[in-house]
Amino acid sequence: MSETPTTITPRERLRRLPGRAVGMLLVWFVVTEADIPSLVIGVPIALAAATLSVALQPRSLSGVYLPGAIRFARFFAVNSVLGGIDVAFRALGPRMRLAPAIVHYPLRISGSFPRVFFANTISMLPGTLSSRLTDDTVEVHVLDCTRPVIEDLAKVEERVADLFGAQLSPHEGGGVL
Amino acid sequence: MPWQTVIDVITYALFAASGFFFLAGSVGLVRFPDVYTRLHALTKSDNLGLGLASTGLALQSGSWIVAAKLLLIWMIVIVAGATACYLVANSARNSGIEPWTGGDR
Repeated sequence: MSETPTTITPRERLRRLPGRAVGMLLVWFVVTEADIPSLVIGVPIALAAATLSVALQPRSLSGVYLPGAIRFARFFAVNSVLGGIDVAFRALGPRMRLAPAIVHYPLRISGSFPRVFFANTISMLPGTLSSRLTDDTVEVHVLDCTRPVIEDLAKVEERVADLFGAQLSPHEGGGVL
Repeated sequence: MPWQTVIDVITYALFAASGFFFLAGSVGLVRFPDVYTRLHALTKSDNLGLGLASTGLALQSGSWIVAAKLLLIWMIVIVAGATACYLVANSARNSGIEPWTGGDR
C-alpha cells in the first residue's frame, strides 16, 4: 500500500559491497574464534558471500539506523524475558489462563524486509504470534485477547520502524477477526 | 568472595533459569490445547532459555570472541525459530485449522 519500492542501480549495489564484505569477514572471524591462518580461506569466502548477498539483495532498500537499533535491542531483551515468563506461568498454572483469538493488524511500516522483521519480532514477544503476512496487514494469534493487543502491536511496530530509521503516522484500525 | 566464585554462582543461576524456561516450554507443548498456543510455548521459552544458557556459557568462557560466537548462535536460532514458527502457523491457517477459543477441557 504505502510501499515505495526503490530500485537499486548496479552502482548502488557496488557501493554496498565493502561494508557487506567487512560484515561477512567479521562473522568468519567470530566463527573461527580469531584464527588468523584460516583467513586464507576466510577472506575469499567472505568476499564471495558479500558479492552474492549484494547481488541477491531485494529491490527495496532498508538501512539500519544505529541509535534505533540499540533502542530496539534493549526493548527486545526486556520483552523476550517478559514473553518467556508470561508463557511459562500460563503453561505451569493449574488453570491455564488462555483466551486466544486471531486479530488483524493493518501495517504502517513499508518495505518487505522491515515487514518480515516485524512479523518475526511479533512471534518472539509476550502472547503474540504472527500467522499470516499480506501486503498491508499482518494476522496475529494472541494468547489473551483481553489485553490491549492492538496498542501493544503498534508500540512494537514503532520500535521496528525506529530500527530502520523510519517515522510512522498514528495507528488506526485493526481488531479481532 | 573470589571473583571466579561470583562468576560460577551467576552461571548456576542462569542455567537454572534456562532449564526452568525450557521445561515450561515443553510443559506448554503438552498442555496447551491447539497448534497455535503450542507454538507460543515453544518459541518464547526457547528464545529465552537459549539466551540465558548462552549468557552463562559466555561468562564461563572468559573470552570475548567466544561470547560473540554464542551471541551469533543465539541470534541465528531466534531467526530460524521465528521463521519456522511462522511457517507452521501460516500453513495451519491456510489449511483451515481454527484456533481453539475456549470451551470444555
